Amino acid sequence: MNAALRIIRSREAVLFLVLVGLFAVMSWRVEYFLDLQNLFDQARYWVAPGLIAIAMTFIIATGGIDLSVGSILALSGIVVGLLYRDAGWPIWAAGGCAVLVAGAAGALNGLVVAYVQVPALVVTLATMTLFRGLAMGLLGKQRPVGDFPASFRWLGQGDAFPVPGSGAAPAYVPVSVIVLIIAFALGWALMRRSWVGRFTELMGENQIAAAFAGINVPALNFGLFTGCGLLCGLAGMFHTAQVNTALADTAQDMALDVVACVVIGGTRISGGHASMIGSLLGLLIIGILRFGLDLAGVPSQNTIIVIGLVLVVTAVFNEWMASRTSGEEQ
Amino acid sequence: MRALLPLLLLVIVTAAACNSGEPGASDGADGSAADTGALKVGVMPKLIGIPFFNAAQLGAEEAGEELGVDLTYDGPVTSDVTKQAQMVDSWLARRYDAIAVAPNDPDAIASVLARAKGRGVKVVTWDADSKPEVRDFFVNQCTAEGVARTLMDVMVEGIGPDGKYIIITGSLTAANQNIWMEEMEKYRRERYPDLVNLSPTPKAPGEDKAMATQVTIDSLKAYPDLDGIFAITSVALPGAAEALRKTGSADRVFLTGLATPNDMREYVKDGTVKKFVLWDVVNLGYLTTHVAVAAANGDLAPGATSFTAGRLGEVEVVGDEVILGDPLVFDIDNIDDYDF
Repeated sequence: MNAALRIIRSREAVLFLVLVGLFAVMSWRVEYFLDLQNLFDQARYWVAPGLIAIAMTFIIATGGIDLSVGSILALSGIVVGLLYRDAGWPIWAAGGCAVLVAGAAGALNGLVVAYVQVPALVVTLATMTLFRGLAMGLLGKQRPVGDFPASFRWLGQGDAFPVPGSGAAPAYVPVSVIVLIIAFALGWALMRRSWVGRFTELMGENQIAAAFAGINVPALNFGLFTGCGLLCGLAGMFHTAQVNTALADTAQDMALDVVACVVIGGTRISGGHASMIGSLLGLLIIGILRFGLDLAGVPSQNTIIVIGLVLVVTAVFNEWMASRTSGEEQ
Repeated sequence: MRALLPLLLLVIVTAAACNSGEPGASDGADGSAADTGALKVGVMPKLIGIPFFNAAQLGAEEAGEELGVDLTYDGPVTSDVTKQAQMVDSWLARRYDAIAVAPNDPDAIASVLARAKGRGVKVVTWDADSKPEVRDFFVNQCTAEGVARTLMDVMVEGIGPDGKYIIITGSLTAANQNIWMEEMEKYRRERYPDLVNLSPTPKAPGEDKAMATQVTIDSLKAYPDLDGIFAITSVALPGAAEALRKTGSADRVFLTGLATPNDMREYVKDGTVKKFVLWDVVNLGYLTTHVAVAAANGDLAPGATSFTAGRLGEVEVVGDEVILGDPLVFDIDNIDDYDF
């Protein structure tokens, strides 16, 4: 067990090395990359996928997947927008309600996955369309909702405090980035320092054994999907605030972007092993790569080729690591 | 063996960065002598990889070369306004002098455009507008009046000044189409009072080609004395053309409207549609780049009423909108000159 732990730790160390290497290459090779304000401006775009990646790490650790996250995010945006603009609710009440609606959407996923025992891939493929349709239907023929109050926009656009020692024109740390860091810390604690993470991994390893060990597998599964919905709702608030518009057709590639981060991070797609720190590193690696290539003037179609290649290389690497781990265990 | 992954990654990234490094490298050189260097201009379509915006790219690059600026034409691979905003942020990081964006959503792009303007970057919108206060100029492909008049003139050429026509639109709430129909009616009353619109409420099959075909077939039965059909969305026109071809009514009924040459090529080649209308997308990209550059170097300032844009000559400026001019009429003779 100790040996396995060491290798898992070292997998994260490898990812960290990759991140440092990327950062070094970009700083050396790409003009304007090493500018704190630019990096913080970009980091705002990592908040929504990052929040969802925390939940997705748990779900993939059970051997499941949630493809409906982008649709739930869009739905929560439309709900806050319509409640605020058309129903005249106070913005924070509307926001709270939107997060709850997203939680209910996640609960529906969880209900069907856990209690009807339909594979998560099938369920969330279906609800991906269902929730997207709901978002579009609620908005109908109206214009997307814009012009949120400044207090709400602050979530996505606000600055928390200047970076100490960054001089006369200081770089400001975005509010949303601080929230993301706190959320990852909580996610890590839940995964590594509480029964939730232990039970989740055990369930992903072997559902039947987990049930025999006294874990209420359906309840845990239901809870994780509901939590994923809630986090999608929270991500929806930051996303909506950032562009100051609630769009029904937004975040269509969200599920794939998030799964990519989690898988690069070393969480096993077949379940049983999760790495919250890995997911964060995966998010940063993809984010830095995309931003750096954009800055270098690489056309978008080449950028997605590079990101695709990185995914392939990581997948091969993770397989190799996994086979090594099981080799040492035997 | 464990060093494999980081090594591979670094090789890929460095290779990619260097590959694109030809312009990137010269960027670096220009950057260190920024005052004498070429202007850095970014033109962003709604998305890349579709024929319409590939055509605009041709025009943009032509203008970029002509003006000697460092031009980037890039956009997201899906029509996602958040990805557009993210890319604009990268362009701001690169200290572009001017950016021109075709926003996927007018409101959602506004925050980042406002930030760009606040940093002294000249901001142009094209193809679709954002909020007027966050951009310096909007390059308008056509005025509603220009579209309406060209459509009516083409129709009268086809059915004479006293024919009977109907209009097929997208949905009844489509804003552009509704304005065009208003202008068409105004121009009809003024110029062709004997023309008759048999459908005061237009046919609305939605953005669905099969539905447009069905609606057209039904209309051919419902209006036996019909002479002409306008189909004024890029989906409705090929749909209606399909109906004429199926029912063999192309000799009896004259069809025209708005669509892209690539969608209409086969119907023009087989004679189902004689003439149709759209703005020249290549020229739209060309004009957009000219406007962005002129805004950045001060040749185009607020209050101008006209503007000289390279091979397009004098173009009209109304307030803060630069207007491409009258739309193009496509027919069998010129359709193969256009690929979008």
